[in-house]
Amino acid sequence: MFGTLFLKECKQVLRSMVYYIYVVAFVMFLSSQLGGELTDKMEKPVPGQGSYGTIVSHEESVVMGNIMANLVGETENNSYATYPLGFYKRVTLNEEELSQVKEIIENCTGKKWEEIIGEMEEHFSGYDQGTVEGAIQAQMEYRADVKDTLKYEDFCSSMEKVCQLIGAGSSYSSKKLEAGVGAPMSYEQALEEYEVFCREDKVTGATARLFCDYAGIVLSVLPIFLGVTRCLRDRRAQAEQVIFAREASVFQIVGSRYLANVCMAFLPVVFTAFVMQLPYQFHAETLGVAADALAFLKYSFVWLLPEIMAVLAVSFFITELTGGVISIFVQVFWAFASLFSAVGLQGDFALKLIARWNALGNTREFLRQRQELFLNRGFYFGLSVLLLILTFAIYEKKRREGGSIYGKIFKGRK
Amino acid sequence: MEKYLRAGSSFARRQYAPHLFITLLFCVMSVFFVSFRNLDDFQAAKVMEMYVSFAGILLMTPLFFPEQNPEIWLLKKSKATPLWHLYLIRLLMAVFFLAVIVTGFTQMMRQGDSQFDMRNLWIGSFCEMFFLGSIGFFVSGITNQAVLGYMVSVLYFVANIGAAKYLGKFALFQMAKGQYDFMVPMTAAALLLVTGGIVLRERISA
Repeated sequence: MFGTLFLKECKQVLRSMVYYIYVVAFVMFLSSQLGGELTDKMEKPVPGQGSYGTIVSHEESVVMGNIMANLVGETENNSYATYPLGFYKRVTLNEEELSQVKEIIENCTGKKWEEIIGEMEEHFSGYDQGTVEGAIQAQMEYRADVKDTLKYEDFCSSMEKVCQLIGAGSSYSSKKLEAGVGAPMSYEQALEEYEVFCREDKVTGATARLFCDYAGIVLSVLPIFLGVTRCLRDRRAQAEQVIFAREASVFQIVGSRYLANVCMAFLPVVFTAFVMQLPYQFHAETLGVAADALAFLKYSFVWLLPEIMAVLAVSFFITELTGGVISIFVQVFWAFASLFSAVGLQGDFALKLIARWNALGNTREFLRQRQELFLNRGFYFGLSVLLLILTFAIYEKKRREGGSIYGKIFKGRK
Repeated sequence: MEKYLRAGSSFARRQYAPHLFITLLFCVMSVFFVSFRNLDDFQAAKVMEMYVSFAGILLMTPLFFPEQNPEIWLLKKSKATPLWHLYLIRLLMAVFFLAVIVTGFTQMMRQGDSQFDMRNLWIGSFCEMFFLGSIGFFVSGITNQAVLGYMVSVLYFVANIGAAKYLGKFALFQMAKGQYDFMVPMTAAALLLVTGGIVLRERISA
């Protein structure tokens, strides 16, 4: 019975226009983001190269220089990025607050504000700001060094004062300082990173991660519409009561529906990942590396499947509960909040719906944070199962008592 | 006139109220996500374009909700009042709420000592919201599926985050770049979409 229903549900999904928009939007998004040439970034580093990328550093002097550079830049633009509730919020200070921040910067650096800005402008003028690479390079290498006599503890307390002025969730909290900062890599570090990239990632692992990063963004939104459409279809077709009266259990009806949607939503993901991996698989051979041919499958299963499951489970749950499209608003809001709440574009997985790793490689750092990713995805897998069980309960209640979960309350009113 | 007022009020009470409530909630929650203090032209535009413009989707996409059911559509079709009159009333209602929201947000930013060109920001924000909403309105109208309307308009919003350069004058978030020449083409496209939505819906349904 379950198998028959599952196949029927898959056919239902294939008949839905929403599904084709889902597939087209997914493929277009991924092709636009991953269409560029990545193979240039896979070359072995050579001595004397202009730049070797960045690495996370916890060295106090580097942290202070980097944080101060960020503060100078934000103060100059009077635009501070904050995450008060974990979500991005831009803060602009008034004149009095701004002058207090400038005073703190002057105390930490031992220089006048005009002098600091002059140095910053001089630094940036040395790079080609017209190109993305030049702008990134300039930003990456800019440091606003603090004075030699400033202790790290005093620096931290100064940053606390800045936090109080800017508000909660700024980039200068002790938590952010402890997380370390991005610092340019040396040749030796870059070579070591390349070896780990070849040995652990086998090239395709790194490209699969980048694929998952982009796919994760769009998959936080697209499956919502599949779920809502499926849950509302019975009512739309006026078949709800007929299905309620069937012999099949709630597990068979809702379970097969959910599973069919998960499989159909996952199918284009695996297919696209496989196709996009092929060029890099061949490129690995030119680098003399035996590529991991199943990387696309492993990463998609661990990284993207729990996300699809969670998004669909939430949409099933809310739509069955409310009988309306409210799930779209809640989940789109959730997806955007998750996307814009990312402090960096790599790691910091916590319990974010969209797990980001917008880098080709950086393998050692990924391996360090991998456990956190597993916990994150495990959480969403568990959440999906829990919400599915709750959806069973709601569906069963509706089946026994009427068309909507709250209908009886209104029906009982005199 | 009384007939139309009654039709509008009935729609607002019976079908539109949850959507108005969600929009209200969306506006109230803005205090947690966007700042209204000391903004300049660009920052104020960003608030309106990245956050507030979403209200266009919330308010304009569900306007065909009652007639999604073919039986209700047939019943209403049989009445003396043409259906396009009803759609137009609902559209005017949505436009009124859009105007209220734009006014509310721009005033809040003004109260927070923000400095911006009020006229440009008001008109530009209204155009973008109306345009984004008209996409949802059009798609839900011709497909008779509100979910598709939401899907396409949300995807259009997302597409603007990464692929705005391909959308020319119909790209969102242009005020944040200091460009205001999108207003006329965008308004024209929005008017075309709402007119097309109503006309094509009735043709396809018939």
